[in-house]
Amino acid sequence: MNETFTCGDHGVLVSYLYDECAPDERRTISAHVAICSACAEELTALGATREQLALWSPPDAQLGFRIVSDAAPAPALQREKGPRVLRPPQWWRKPMPAWAQAAAAAAIFATGLTLGMTRGTVGGPERSAPLQASSVSSGADPSGPRTAAVTRADLAALEQRLRAEMRTQTRTVSAPVAAAPADARILEQVRAMINESEQRQSRELGRRTTEVVRDFDAQRSDDLARIERTIGQMDATTGVEVAQQRQMVNYLMRVSQRGQ
Amino acid sequence: MTFTDDELVARSMGGDAESFNQLILRWERPIYALAYRVIGREEDARDVCQETFLRAFRALPGFKGQAKFSSWLYRIALNLCRDWIRRQRRAPVMQMPEGVEPGELIAETGPVESIEDLVSRRQLSALVEQAMALLPEEQRTAIILKEYHGMTFQEIADMQGCPLSTVKTRLYQGLTVLRRHLEKNGQLTPQLVKRS
Repeated sequence: MNETFTCGDHGVLVSYLYDECAPDERRTISAHVAICSACAEELTALGATREQLALWSPPDAQLGFRIVSDAAPAPALQREKGPRVLRPPQWWRKPMPAWAQAAAAAAIFATGLTLGMTRGTVGGPERSAPLQASSVSSGADPSGPRTAAVTRADLAALEQRLRAEMRTQTRTVSAPVAAAPADARILEQVRAMINESEQRQSRELGRRTTEVVRDFDAQRSDDLARIERTIGQMDATTGVEVAQQRQMVNYLMRVSQRGQ
Repeated sequence: MTFTDDELVARSMGGDAESFNQLILRWERPIYALAYRVIGREEDARDVCQETFLRAFRALPGFKGQAKFSSWLYRIALNLCRDWIRRQRRAPVMQMPEGVEPGELIAETGPVESIEDLVSRRQLSALVEQAMALLPEEQRTAIILKEYHGMTFQEIADMQGCPLSTVKTRLYQGLTVLRRHLEKNGQLTPQLVKRS
């Protein structure tokens, strides 16, 4: 920057106006402005223009943007970071495959059968005691065979019972797994519908309010214009009447002076 | 706890969408105001604002932090505004003038300001808006960034990709046109200016 400031250096003037110049530059311009009325006037006018600019404010808008990544992952995430990594569900929550269910059923059945047969044939002293007692009480030969305790009917009943238990277990395990995602989906849809409805209502309310206030404003402007017009007409009418009265008074004065 | 922009950016880059939402909350008003003042249409300004954040979110992995996050956002918004203006030039749409906004009237009507004062202020605001619309885009943008976003000459020069001296010239020329327009409409009489 030169030590002297020349008129017409708009760049420097703007720096001074926005107070974005070095201290010595500022001192130089201040000294110049103190003696140059043209530059002083220009600076004042630009400052006044800036004051007017401060009056301009944008309308208040409803914003509230959000990036939503959980319910509906943003395409950006998908593209920039690759496919979203989903954590696998815990193994005990997975539905059991059919072959595993069949294998488990067979294993349970076999175990039950084996246990039943073992108890019937070998038997512990605690299990055989009642049998013994009943044999004694019925008067049968106590040395007779004890293997006839498990019959075909018993086995069939056991099989039925096990099958029924397996069916119940399968139902209780698979039902929540199937129901949970469906519930979450429905809940999500309901939430989305509620949100959409709220936004629609809010937009509608805003629009209506806009219309009402705009109408009110237009009406007000019309009324003010009409009042102004009426006042102008009244002023004009009153002025004419006053002039006529003044003429009349002048005439009367002249006539009365002539009579004297 | 309040995080700085840089901290929120770092967390967002780590995959925390909520941190990015905090950045949106912090910057959506200034970006909307910038877009509105540059393109002058409320609905379109809102669209530009939304698109700015969407683009920023997509481009976040490429943000190296060389500039301030806000400057980066402003640049995206200005590019979008420029695209919008270019599209409008190619296919101009008849635009209804936007009058007094009720939301603002309702929000601004305080106990101390009468409706007359408010309407008068709105009219002045509309006049300034009208005058700003007369300016070429570069001058208008320079004035907006300086007056309403408090940027330095250097920041504006970086944003507009031009030398510092060009920014000053744009500001001077823009302010001069505005001054003449306001004087013509009786809002800035030369006598008044001299007295003040």
